[in-house]
Amino acid sequence: MRNITFRIKRYDGTKHWVQSYSFRHEEGKTFLWALTKIREEQDPTLNFTSACRHAICGSCAVRVNGHGHLVCKTSLDELLEVYGSDVLDLEPLDNFEIVRDLVIDWRPKTERIQEVKPWLIPTEEGSAETGFLQAAKDYHKIASPTDCIQCGICSSECEQLAENKNFLDPFILNRAYRFAVDSRDAAPEAHIRPALENDLWKCLHCHGCVTQCPKGIRLDREIAYLRQESMKMGELDNLGARHAYAFHDDVQAKGRLNEMTLPIKTEGLVTTAMKRIPFALRMVARGKINPLHMPQAINGIESVRRLYVKTKGGRK
Amino acid sequence: MLKYDVVIVGAGGAGMNAALSASKESGLKVAVLSKIYPTRSHTGAAQGGINAALGFRDPTDSIEKHFRDTVKGSDFLADQDAVEFFTSGMPDIIRELDYMGVPFSRDEQGRVAQRPFGGASSPRCCYSADKTGHVILHALFEQCLKNGVRFFDDWCLLSLVVEGNQLQGLVAMDMRSGEIHPIMAKSIVIATGGFGRIYWSRTTNAFNMTGDGTAAAFEAGIPLKDPEFVQFHPTGLAGTGILMSEACRGEGGYLLNNQGERFMANYAPSKMELGPRDVVSRSIEMEIKAGRGFGEGMTAHVLMDLRHLGKEKIMERLPQVRELALDFEGIDIIHQPVGIRASCHYMMGGIHVQDFRTCATPVQGIHAAGECSAVSIHGANRLGGNSVADVVFFGKYAGLGARETAKQRSLGNESQVQAEANRWMQKFAQMRQKTGGNNLFEIRNRMAEAMWYNVGIFRTERNMVHALDVINELLEEYKDTSIGDTSVKYNTAFIHYVEVGNLLKLAKAVCMGAIARKESRGSHAREDYTERNDAEFLKHTLIHKEGDNYRLDYSPVKITKYAPEERAY
Amino acid sequence: MRYGFFPGCTLESAAQELMISTQKVAAALGIELVELDGWTCCGASHIQDISEDLSLAINARNIALGEKLNAPILTVCNTCTLMLRTAKQRIDEDGEIKNRVNESLSESQMQYQGTSDVTHLLWMLIRDYGLENLKAKVKRPLTGLKVANFYGCHIIRPPQIMGFENHLNPQSMEMVVAALGAESVDFDQRLACCGFHAVFPAEQEVMQKTGANCISARGSGADVMVTPCPLCQMQLDMYQPDAQKQFEESIEMPILHLPQLIGLALGFSPEELGIKRHIVDAIPVLNAKLVR
Repeated sequence: MRNITFRIKRYDGTKHWVQSYSFRHEEGKTFLWALTKIREEQDPTLNFTSACRHAICGSCAVRVNGHGHLVCKTSLDELLEVYGSDVLDLEPLDNFEIVRDLVIDWRPKTERIQEVKPWLIPTEEGSAETGFLQAAKDYHKIASPTDCIQCGICSSECEQLAENKNFLDPFILNRAYRFAVDSRDAAPEAHIRPALENDLWKCLHCHGCVTQCPKGIRLDREIAYLRQESMKMGELDNLGARHAYAFHDDVQAKGRLNEMTLPIKTEGLVTTAMKRIPFALRMVARGKINPLHMPQAINGIESVRRLYVKTKGGRK
Repeated sequence: MLKYDVVIVGAGGAGMNAALSASKESGLKVAVLSKIYPTRSHTGAAQGGINAALGFRDPTDSIEKHFRDTVKGSDFLADQDAVEFFTSGMPDIIRELDYMGVPFSRDEQGRVAQRPFGGASSPRCCYSADKTGHVILHALFEQCLKNGVRFFDDWCLLSLVVEGNQLQGLVAMDMRSGEIHPIMAKSIVIATGGFGRIYWSRTTNAFNMTGDGTAAAFEAGIPLKDPEFVQFHPTGLAGTGILMSEACRGEGGYLLNNQGERFMANYAPSKMELGPRDVVSRSIEMEIKAGRGFGEGMTAHVLMDLRHLGKEKIMERLPQVRELALDFEGIDIIHQPVGIRASCHYMMGGIHVQDFRTCATPVQGIHAAGECSAVSIHGANRLGGNSVADVVFFGKYAGLGARETAKQRSLGNESQVQAEANRWMQKFAQMRQKTGGNNLFEIRNRMAEAMWYNVGIFRTERNMVHALDVINELLEEYKDTSIGDTSVKYNTAFIHYVEVGNLLKLAKAVCMGAIARKESRGSHAREDYTERNDAEFLKHTLIHKEGDNYRLDYSPVKITKYAPEERAY
Repeated sequence: MRYGFFPGCTLESAAQELMISTQKVAAALGIELVELDGWTCCGASHIQDISEDLSLAINARNIALGEKLNAPILTVCNTCTLMLRTAKQRIDEDGEIKNRVNESLSESQMQYQGTSDVTHLLWMLIRDYGLENLKAKVKRPLTGLKVANFYGCHIIRPPQIMGFENHLNPQSMEMVVAALGAESVDFDQRLACCGFHAVFPAEQEVMQKTGANCISARGSGADVMVTPCPLCQMQLDMYQPDAQKQFEESIEMPILHLPQLIGLALGFSPEELGIKRHIVDAIPVLNAKLVR
């Protein structure tokens, strides 16, 4: 007889504790099956939310061994095998307020999502009486981002959000993207600018969101798009944009990065001089950097520069 | 005390569109209560599409044809004036949704794409891949945010207070705090969805589809219309009952028995797999009964084969369905047929709506829209693609109706609503302390079993009477049960207790309506009365709850254009 | 065994010790690394923020250099691996992008074909070289050394591009560490982000992460942290004194490159592997723990 144990992080509004539940293993079951079994056979006070049980309502996301999963569609056997253990830790999603046990509070997120104006700002091409014409290729641009079920897993995985509550949750950035690329939307800037103003450039590129998104939404590419568009809006004078351009410009000039000039290009000479001197000194002391090293252009740099021309890269 | 002009209960497609239309240019104070976060609502589970005779894909389509198909689909039990009102307005609804930002799939000319659907004489089902309900739900939510609609998430309706046929107010629990609130409202819209969970384990419905609003209205004296008509969706996944969209058949999927035959040829030779849901579900069950299915007992099934559609079409039009089959059955429909069997899907019956233009019920101040209601446009069998259409369309008109009602009414009797709230507070306090008694989950599971085996796809008097006996027994047992959770905050055990009570009340009405209807019509297929009997039963069932007593009654069907005729596909 | 070697920019400057240790290890294992002639920076997960097409094009060019050698491409940097594999996947799955890229490359008589795989040293050791073979080359088992394996994001995420092993519980580092005779310790931040790519715009948050990552490894009793990514190594090592300012407790933790750890087991001295170049001195603990 094989027993599975869930160590579930519980909360009753005042105190937190971990409670273990063991149950008989059955093959081919989901986490939702297990949680339901625990609630109905062992402990009716255990709280979690679920509704549709087929990954469309977004109610049932929790963390298993630290990572977010929709319990309705996640195979128990699969994670038992991945972790090579019959004991698993379940917790509510991270980066949310907790209501009780595995139940999280969505109200603060509902406030925040409104910052990106998550609704269509219709162009004059359409009206409530006529609707719109939209090319199939333009529909395809919004097909994937509108798959978002607002389950909150991306928020839970987000390593920037963990440190910085000003950052917008990835699903909110997705909503900004979804309207910014909709051919029926008259004001992409209205969706992009709030993202920019809420630390868009602080995304760490950890790919936690895109990795665990149950709908496979490419949030990494969406964030890149929002950044590209913010720069087209003229928002070039910030640390993120300057940092990206430092790489972009170095590759065009020599093919490779010049680490010596990177901080100066990103932060400006004055800040670098003020902030980075102790850093630079310890680097020089250890031989990590050589201030006199100037990279030479690589063999075939012309072929690289041609790529800039073809892809319309390079400084305008 | 909370006071609103209009309170909407339920935040699915009907509730949110009602909220939008009730608050538009009215200056009224509108609030939406929802047991769950709005985008979790079950409208989001609708996959295949929304019907509107736009005539894009088939220029010969017309509102008239949509009207006729819907009436025929209903086995002539739908009210034809209401159906005509509905089908005439649907093209405008699609344009409004488009303007709200719904990402519809598009045709070559950039118009909203349309696909064939069961029981439809033209391809008129507008869609967004196979996630149509999901994208509409989210677009409505976005519009509500834009328009500053006030949501009360995690608030569960407990009861409606009615005196002398007049709405006084309602009582709801704020699940987070555990507080029970009396709420005053000049008008309300009930939009709480269906109650397919009376079949607990064999249903496409979400866990929370427990008919809370329908039960509250029923308790408050509004009759339940046509509860015996339960739609079984032909293509639930064999193992779990999870929905595989009708778009699978719409896009050309085959149904195969264990001989490899497209057996629909024997049941609906001209429409084949595109027959209406009641016909196809029965055909599947007949094949299984005749030994031409796969597996046995609860796992018996037939196959749905989509391989001939090819990868590209499947990925473009049925991506969610493919994922569901992969996740829940481990089958890639691009390469393999998938096992399916009928699964409880939709309640044609519901809160008796008297005026289809305003969705008003017999009680002054109470309106109802969506699956919780019966207008009736679906009659004895709803057509695929008509339910999301129903929720958005009648949600709008219920909201407008409630807006006008609110302008004409004043707030009701506060002390009466407070007294009802106090009664619930006592109940909550008592249930938190109570121990022992009958097991609530067992009560629920026995109800589901009784309903599935006895009031399912094929019905006989003997079986249904047995089910009714069981339900009556369970109603008694329910009086002595306990919840096992003493917590005030977020006591889902108590909510579930309320839900099971609601389901039992409604299940009993389903049995009663079904036993009394001695004919076969639409989804109501009796083995002891195999023919439709227009002479005696071309009428709506109305069940009234008077205390613990259920009273059966009937009302006429509105027939304006199409006289009943034989229904063949 | 022969690979087109894509060092990446850091190996030419701040992480020269990784170049040194990689070359030593490769030679000792009998693996031929042929440096691609004229490789460019992979974009370091930044250039796509300006132009996705440009990011794909420069990496198609890099991969094309490897294809000319008729060999798979090997890197020792997570982010280089991710950027190259991202480009490869996008181009291989989308004919239109492939045509566009090749049209651009054709002006320089280059072509992307899709014939060279992109792999990382860590994966190569397991999949191509074989841990048994690696074990056979160990001259000085790292017995008693407790190692905290810090994977770094871009060798596991996103799995649809990386996909070498399950991203939720990868084991490749532990397998290599075991082959070298050392002991892996488990710690909370094993799969965390180092924050390097946002160290300028999100300095405060990234320093917080650096400290938390080091503390987590310390808490598990690790002697050293090892990472397969020079960017993680730089973040955790070079910035450790800056991160320390945000913490009262000591966060001190020596950080090694994976090839340095392998090199130690193959018998090289810490000095030969450039370990003394690190900001946080690893030599005392290595001296204390390792048999000389």
